[in-house]
Amino acid sequence: MTLISRFRSPRTQGILLLTPALGVYAMFAIWPMIDVLILSFQDWNGITENREWVGLRNYYHILYNDPVFWVAFKNTFIWTVLSVVIPPLLGLGLALGLNQKLILRAPLRAIYYLPVIIAPIAVATMWRWMYDPFFGLFAQLLADLGLSSWAVDWLGDRDVALYSIFVAYVWQNVGFSMVLFLAGLQSVDSSLIDAAHIDGANRRQVFKNVTLPALRPTITIVLVLSTISSLKAFDIIYGMTGGGPAQSTQMLALWAFTQSMEIFDYGRGSAVSVVLLLLTLAVVIPYMRWSQKQESDAQ
Amino acid sequence: MIAPALNMKRRDPVLIGLWISLALVALVWLTPVVFITFTALKSEAEIFSTAAFSVPSAIEWSNFGVAWIKGNFSQTFFNSTVITLVKVPLGLLISAMAAYALAQIKLGWNKALLLFVLFGAMLPFQVMLAPLFNLVNSLDLIDTYPGVILPYLAFGVPYQVFILHSFFRAVPKELTEAALIDGATHFTIFRRIFLPVSLPVLAALLILDFVSTWNEFAMALVLLQDKNMWTLPLGLMSFQGQFSSNYGELNAAIVMTVLPATLVYLIFQRYFVSGLTSGAVKG
Repeated sequence: MTLISRFRSPRTQGILLLTPALGVYAMFAIWPMIDVLILSFQDWNGITENREWVGLRNYYHILYNDPVFWVAFKNTFIWTVLSVVIPPLLGLGLALGLNQKLILRAPLRAIYYLPVIIAPIAVATMWRWMYDPFFGLFAQLLADLGLSSWAVDWLGDRDVALYSIFVAYVWQNVGFSMVLFLAGLQSVDSSLIDAAHIDGANRRQVFKNVTLPALRPTITIVLVLSTISSLKAFDIIYGMTGGGPAQSTQMLALWAFTQSMEIFDYGRGSAVSVVLLLLTLAVVIPYMRWSQKQESDAQ
Repeated sequence: MIAPALNMKRRDPVLIGLWISLALVALVWLTPVVFITFTALKSEAEIFSTAAFSVPSAIEWSNFGVAWIKGNFSQTFFNSTVITLVKVPLGLLISAMAAYALAQIKLGWNKALLLFVLFGAMLPFQVMLAPLFNLVNSLDLIDTYPGVILPYLAFGVPYQVFILHSFFRAVPKELTEAALIDGATHFTIFRRIFLPVSLPVLAALLILDFVSTWNEFAMALVLLQDKNMWTLPLGLMSFQGQFSSNYGELNAAIVMTVLPATLVYLIFQRYFVSGLTSGAVKG
């Protein structure tokens, strides 16, 4: 076969079109994932040539001898539960409201979505300043209301800090759920709603029996995306507390980073990463199977 | 809800109550932005002496100038611009090429390849920061533009391929086949037919990707260690560390970091929504 005719084969052309994207993806996204798995069975400080195999020692260490790991695990769990419940519920509420024909609907939607496009690290910086115990927004508001005694050191108090960060996270993420729900609501058949009204159904009945069933696929998507994005919470915590005070806001993603990049224990950091990766896969794989099934049902 | 416009005319109390509560919550949602902007425009003395929401009496523009210089903003701004301007169009092009091949050319394992790519859309790269550093370091690309652009490309591919693939697949195969019989190559068909028809989708993805590249922090933190290579988010973080008590300047720095993405959003608003939802909600 000459070069020209080879070039004309659809298969070759397809491979040429695929290679740049697949190549960079395999090398810079898939390989690091494999490498993190390998590293989790090794002892390495990031500098020496030698990566020594240590079997399951890193896992043993993080599970049995590292109290911070369990704090991070617990915080990640709390964080995930909160972020799967609160932002999607608020987002659904806003979407239902803003799906009505209301005056100034578009600007209202824009306001709710605005925080989504702000860099998480800038959100962290903004809220750190708002939580400033002396001149921050909350300290001032409480002082104006004569409630200074309610003021706490929002990011400095071990019992409060995680939830203070979460408030900022909600502020940033509600708009995302809202937009997905708004799009999902477009798929609700309006003639069904009209028919239900004619039959004398009230708003609640319409919501429960018409809107909610039609939203089911959207709800699944929002919940899965919320879970995934909550497991990777990193920027906002790094920026607001760095995991402190006294590790009270430590999370798995941040702890993996700290172990590897700041304590230079790549093995233990990678073991934490693998735990987080497994947790993510436990959500992702069923979801992918579900969406494959949806797709083949649709065809 | 049969005729919402009519309902409003009859002043449906439920809708009015709904509107008032939505507007009130929207005000709450805006407070952080207003507070930050006001603080950025106040002098140090005014910040300490006036209430949080008092409008700045004399606008202190110097906060911006001082923060710009102290924060090395001209350098970080430049780096962010270079990285974003290279990464976003290049990433979109390679994703579109791959999506076309997967949607329109029989390769035998299209479905498996597609799944392989989609898998990455769900992976948290935050988990892989250390091996990513390790890889880029072994290529001697730490503190270089390619060293951060290549991983950005890799983690942008899955979502874009996913969206574009579902779009390209909807184009009838007969169209491609007819063009092939007329002697066109797949490259020509991709460039002359598929790229032009997908311009709205590409625009939506372009804008989404601009914002997420502009805002990216965690990978840059690991891959760019030299101060002169930092992007805006890294610069802001370090500014906060060094000058956290110069409130006026800190808030000016926040405003400058956030402004470009905000402007892009306000100008191209409708593309955001279509870009986000075309993939996610269709399933």
